[in-house]
Amino acid sequence: MSQLGRVKQWNTFARCWHLFDAAWQNPLECAPSIEKYLKGLNKPIYHPLVDCGDHVVVINSKQIAFPGEEWRRRVYFHHTGYSGGATWTPAWELHDRDPTMIFRKAVYHHMKGNLFRRVVMERLHIYSDSNVPEEVIENITNQIPPLRSIPKTLGSYSKEEIEKYPKIIDYPEDFILSKN
Amino acid sequence: MSSNRFTPRGFPRVPLQNGIGRYICQLKRITLRFCKSSGSSRGIRDFIETDLINFAQDHPGTALYLKPRRHKSPSFVAEYLNGEREVISCHNFTAQQTIKWLNLYTTRSGIPLMRYAKMWHTECPSIQGVWSPFTNKDPALNITQFPSEMLSKPVWEEKSATEELIEMINKQKISDENDDNTQKVQAAQL
Repeated sequence: MSQLGRVKQWNTFARCWHLFDAAWQNPLECAPSIEKYLKGLNKPIYHPLVDCGDHVVVINSKQIAFPGEEWRRRVYFHHTGYSGGATWTPAWELHDRDPTMIFRKAVYHHMKGNLFRRVVMERLHIYSDSNVPEEVIENITNQIPPLRSIPKTLGSYSKEEIEKYPKIIDYPEDFILSKN
Repeated sequence: MSSNRFTPRGFPRVPLQNGIGRYICQLKRITLRFCKSSGSSRGIRDFIETDLINFAQDHPGTALYLKPRRHKSPSFVAEYLNGEREVISCHNFTAQQTIKWLNLYTTRSGIPLMRYAKMWHTECPSIQGVWSPFTNKDPALNITQFPSEMLSKPVWEEKSATEELIEMINKQKISDENDDNTQKVQAAQL
């Protein structure tokens, strides 16, 4: 192979790093889109036997969101292998113990179980907050768009915005909306 | 058989860009070998009587030889411009079958049968270059600080009821202003 051809080959199979902000996102909904990048399904050169997957860095996994009763109803099963070793941990408890675990399990369980699954999972880096090591963040070249926008909380509105907001009635003066 | 795993594997090709602009029949010589008396050569003898002249006139680029052989099974030999030579047995063929097989061997390029790896082939795989993860990417991504606020919005989102209400109010305001303006203009005209 010529020198240029060799470099072209490296360029084509260059491993990219993608960033994903998990704040206010449902990990079960995000898993398919994360999997797409981890396996390289978004690339035209994709082939199941070709190692062309990318790295995905997930930040703010502590702030993931579940719909409805899911935090209480969703239960993670583990068995130690000994008799009576089965445990069922609710999602909120697991999230308290390790804020990255629910997201990791969501992606892991979404993927088809084969010999490549654990290899692909090695390329998923999950951080509970936005403190990512410098050597990781410097690799990132792309950001995966979130599925849902982050809703604006009441406290985050500035005074100007509140005044500008169209209102139907004038509240009485002793009507308290918020402490500030 | 071309599906056999022992046949050589290759891509479709054509000698000297044959068929692009001009076509040259790649069959240079046919030798019809038959017996004048035996029954197995009956069909080929019929072909010689009825259609041989037409066939020779239709293919002026092909030399046609007749080779009677006593008490031998009939066959024909097709020789191509690239030096390939094929022998086809015509045992018990009818005249129609002989024509059919002759037609097949005149239209062939002489390249031996092969198992096609793909049904197409190109010497120039891509003009725009090989794909890389950076093709068709926004160059602004190179200097973007991650995580970026611009990119952390969903690609598409349904409008909330609040947003629609605000939009309706804004529209109403604009239409009210327009009405006021037109009224003023009408008043001035009067």
